[in-house]
Amino acid sequence: MAAPKVAFLLLNLISILPLLVSSFSPDRPTDRRILVVLDDLSLKSSHSLFFSSLKSRGFDLDFKLADDPAIAVKRYGQYMYDGLILLSPSTERFGGSLDVEGVLDFVDSGHDLIVSADANASDLIRNIAAECGVDFDEDPSAVIVDHSSYAVSETEGDHTLIAADDFIQSDVILGNKKIEATVLFKGIGHSLNPANSMVLKALSASPSSYSTNPSSKLSSQPPSLYGTAISLVSVVQARNAARIMISGSLDMFSNRLFRAGVQKSGSLNKYEKSGNEQFITELSKWIFHERGHLKAVNLRHNKVGESEEPSMYRINDDLEFSVEIFEWSGSSWVPHVSKDVQVQFYMMSPYVLKTLSTNGKGLYHTSFKVPDVYGVFQFKVEYQKLGYTSLSLSKQIPVRPFKHNEYERFITTAFPYYGASFSMMAGFFIFSGVYLYNK
Amino acid sequence: MGRSAATKDAHALFHSLRSAYAATPNNLKIIDLYILFAVATAVIQVAYMAIVGSFPFNSFLSGVLSCVGTAVLAVSLRIQVNKDNKEFKDLPPERAFADFVLCNLVLHLVIINFLG
Repeated sequence: MAAPKVAFLLLNLISILPLLVSSFSPDRPTDRRILVVLDDLSLKSSHSLFFSSLKSRGFDLDFKLADDPAIAVKRYGQYMYDGLILLSPSTERFGGSLDVEGVLDFVDSGHDLIVSADANASDLIRNIAAECGVDFDEDPSAVIVDHSSYAVSETEGDHTLIAADDFIQSDVILGNKKIEATVLFKGIGHSLNPANSMVLKALSASPSSYSTNPSSKLSSQPPSLYGTAISLVSVVQARNAARIMISGSLDMFSNRLFRAGVQKSGSLNKYEKSGNEQFITELSKWIFHERGHLKAVNLRHNKVGESEEPSMYRINDDLEFSVEIFEWSGSSWVPHVSKDVQVQFYMMSPYVLKTLSTNGKGLYHTSFKVPDVYGVFQFKVEYQKLGYTSLSLSKQIPVRPFKHNEYERFITTAFPYYGASFSMMAGFFIFSGVYLYNK
Repeated sequence: MGRSAATKDAHALFHSLRSAYAATPNNLKIIDLYILFAVATAVIQVAYMAIVGSFPFNSFLSGVLSCVGTAVLAVSLRIQVNKDNKEFKDLPPERAFADFVLCNLVLHLVIINFLG
């Protein structure tokens, strides 16, 4: 008798189990569960500073070897992870069910990705990067060499360990604090696909760098990648807010380079600690949506003086428009403050374009007069700022012309005609009187 | 010599017209004054329209038409009431005036409607 009741209770408990898992959702955009694919388990210790900084921010890291047959990001149609870190530059094939298509589907569904290549990167990693808009040097043995911007060191004299400080100018992506020290980099470089409009260079190479095999003689042809066209670390923000980081150096994440001092050749500045840790940490915060993730709610409009949203406006009406924009701070939604959010009143082209003013608490508002044109308009907010998710909101509203009793009753310019007609009537009366009673 | 003769002829013509007009009966002179008032108002309205433009065209037409219609009706009254006119010898002047009043009523009804 008690058994069916217990079974019923258990069934209920199992059904609420999915809710207990706090993971990626539109209300909490920070990722939680991250799959880290390594091609060598020693990376867990040689890159431990990077992983421990992720863990301290609350991420659950799941480490797997690249050829582990149990690797799977998707099970029964549901994704088991919210983020993917591929630190396996030399892996030709992943074990398990993950392949290039699987990684791309993962990103297409809105999840984030960190991919690192290195010298002798495999085709698998190159293909994944190419699909994201980044083209590595085709020569598999080429690395980035820079003879005037290398890190001064006693051991490595072939100038493949370069000191880079050409960062992308964005406080959202790289954090508020300026990265003072230069970043150490040793690996391959890539160029951005010119057809891709969503990929950005987070760390560019100096104009004196080029991609070549350091142990072989320089060929007579100029290298295919050189100068500032080379990107050392790139980021992509997709239209579904998925963020991807592609790096050409696995050593950049390592403890050795995190802790190393750096002195750029030709410069007198010597830094005790390279900028790698700050750079990688801040960039990973942006990648995993702890910064720069916006949401817009409550797009409202109403006639001035009313509070309800009407279903239709009339031409030359005065209306008010407001929208609330919040930014995810890593743990909660905080108001996003910016001076350049604009709203368009749009029908084939914007008839009205106004910059919204903010009250500091995330509410953006403005008021304007409906133009003298009737038709079906849209309120459009298109906000695309470097490093922030793009907002694309629109709300449709029809605008009608005047009803026949909404025009002005008496037209001022026609007053002489009104006067003339009435004076004719008065004249008629006076004339009749005078004519009839004239002796 | 020719010029002074022309001006003398003009003067003579003018004088003869004035004296002939002075001989018309008073009631016809009253009608003439009324017609002059209507036409002057019409001319003022056309001049105003030439300056400002014809924006409420229906109002313009209504105003001008009320003046012109009034003038036309007054002219018809003058023709019918004039004793020198052999065509309307048998028409009583009261009948002519009654027709004049009715037509004016219709005219002003239409004008007010079209004024807008």
